[in-house]
Amino acid sequence: MTAITLDNISRDYGCGIFGVRDVSLAIDEGEFMVLLGPSGCGKSTTLRMIAGLEVITSGRIRIGARDVTELAPRSRNVAVVFQSYALYPHMSVRENMRFGMKMRGTPLDEQDRRIADAAEILGLDPYLDRKPGALSGGQRQRVALGRAMVREPDVFLMDEPLSNLDAKLRGEMRQELVKLHRRLGKTMVFVTHDHVEAMTMGDRICIMRDGQIEQVGPPLEVYANPTNTFVAQFLASPAMNLIPARLTAAGGGLGITAGPLAGALPAREAALYARAAAEPAILGLRAEDVLTAPGPATLPVSGKVIVREALGAENLIGIETDGVTLSARTERQFLPAFGDQVTLHADMSQMHLFNAATGVAYPKGT
Amino acid sequence: MIRRALSHSGLVLACLIVLLPILWVFRTSLVPDHASYSTDLLPQPTLENYRVLFAEKQFGTNYLNSLIVSILSVVLSMPLAAMTGYAFARFRTGGKAARFATLASQMLPPVALALPVFMLYRAAGLTNSLTGLTLVYAAINLPFLTWILMGFFESIPEDLEGAAMTDGATRWGAFWRIVLPVAAPGIMAAAVLGFILSWNEFLFALILGGSKTATVPVALAALQTSNGVQISQVSAGVSLAILPLLIAVRFIQKYLVQGLSFGSVK
Ligand SMILES: Nc1ncnc2c1ncn2[C@@H]1O[C@H](COP(=O)(O)OP(=O)(O)OP(=O)(O)O)[C@@H](O)[C@H]1O
Ligand SMILES: [Mg+2]
Repeated sequence: MTAITLDNISRDYGCGIFGVRDVSLAIDEGEFMVLLGPSGCGKSTTLRMIAGLEVITSGRIRIGARDVTELAPRSRNVAVVFQSYALYPHMSVRENMRFGMKMRGTPLDEQDRRIADAAEILGLDPYLDRKPGALSGGQRQRVALGRAMVREPDVFLMDEPLSNLDAKLRGEMRQELVKLHRRLGKTMVFVTHDHVEAMTMGDRICIMRDGQIEQVGPPLEVYANPTNTFVAQFLASPAMNLIPARLTAAGGGLGITAGPLAGALPAREAALYARAAAEPAILGLRAEDVLTAPGPATLPVSGKVIVREALGAENLIGIETDGVTLSARTERQFLPAFGDQVTLHADMSQMHLFNAATGVAYPKGT
Repeated sequence: MIRRALSHSGLVLACLIVLLPILWVFRTSLVPDHASYSTDLLPQPTLENYRVLFAEKQFGTNYLNSLIVSILSVVLSMPLAAMTGYAFARFRTGGKAARFATLASQMLPPVALALPVFMLYRAAGLTNSLTGLTLVYAAINLPFLTWILMGFFESIPEDLEGAAMTDGATRWGAFWRIVLPVAAPGIMAAAVLGFILSWNEFLFALILGGSKTATVPVALAALQTSNGVQISQVSAGVSLAILPLLIAVRFIQKYLVQGLSFGSVK
């Protein structure tokens, strides 16, 4: 049993400053949980509280059946991969990996076996006798992982371990980590501010802001149903288009006016958002739902091209009308010039609607 | 070519400005008293001054006293300074007040402490003893070393201890097995500075010591007698006094440079 349960944990720095405020989260056994959020939102603090490296001013933490709130870090049987790697600079790679096992009294032959295994998996064999100072960033990162693996802990805690790597290596390590998680089947908590890492690696993601949790769920579910504008914008790049909007009853259906966008909603959306009529609202449209060709549920928007990023596989196009900008992810053939007047088509069957005052989403589905 | 020669001669000149007085002291230690103020380079070179120091004065004892007191005081204060510095760096023990007090103790003129210490020592029977002098030097070194080591510890990333503690070490274990080895260059550098501080100390050695416990600076000062300054012998003594400093600095130059530039490395 190595599920992790956070019960209303807080880290209060005094003077009303909170690192983490009243966070409750249940992480299942063997789950890959991603903590996602902007800088300073309390991800590291949460992770360090689980590890026992940060004071818990209120609340309780359980790992499996054990209440570990008061336990010293060494008694929690968790391994941490730090953002800075925190390799012991005066020890060789081998000694770095051995340290934790030595502290725990693992028999020597068992230590050697585990080090050999980890070195094999992570491709560290040639470097075992080097000091960390003589390794590249990617190699150090793998050593940090190896040091955690050989301990065979109940729980892996990783604080932005990929943020120091270049894009290619990051992509590779992302897949390696997912593989590793499948092999070991251990509970892992992974902190990142990169939404791609969160989407691709997590069984579930937990989005945080200002020391509090905004939304928890499987990546695709959160992507499809963000509970508020913050989550909607954070979980994609380019961020979701948000346009102040007003819904009005029109001829038995529902009409929408959102900046340059105006027209009738499709029947399903009209039924869904009938409650929102007449309230100030915010229309949310993901860039991939702004199309270049009209469809059954689209509304046209025209504007001047102000963003034009050809990415090879696709293009990012931003158009502007009356101070409202709309970004679109388009097929690569669609590549207008800067300043061109173009018409795009917003797929209203994929729209999101948020309350303008609170930023909270109007629920989809029933 | 010419530019190189020019810049080199510039450097040689600068070195000479620093070295010349020391070299001249060394030269003076090798000539008889009557020639010490002459401008000849080496008239009648002799080791007579050194012989007098050791055979007729007790320079050997003085030297040994200095070594014992300087080394022991560092050995004594270093563990305490390491722990205090660590506590300051990591736990904000004592807050700003404790840090300020540590720094302030370095700004106090030594005379302000010398008299009270003398009174205490006389009552405790610690005057005129190497133990007493060692203790004073350890006490003087403690805040100094604490301050230096605090800086070194602060520059060590806290995550290192976090890693050690999740790896199974206690806080003390993390300090002992990780922090101290990583801070070793800093500790070595601090040790040398502490040694130099004690080696050169004069006031307390004079006030608290007697003829048996006189250290090198006291012995050298004693050569300025009412019959005049025996400059050749003073020169010989100074030459010898510089020796351990040269050796110490040379021996741990690597650490000194590493240690003093510690913050910028990582
Ligand atoms: N000693 C402290 N005193 C007051 N506030 C602090 C202290 N340490 C951290 N904080 C605050 O706690 C909040 C959470 O910090 P934390 O390191 O957990 O952020 P993070 O989400 O990991 O950010 P990043 O992505 O930049 O690493 C921050 O807003 C920070 O300013
Ligand atoms: Mg962080």
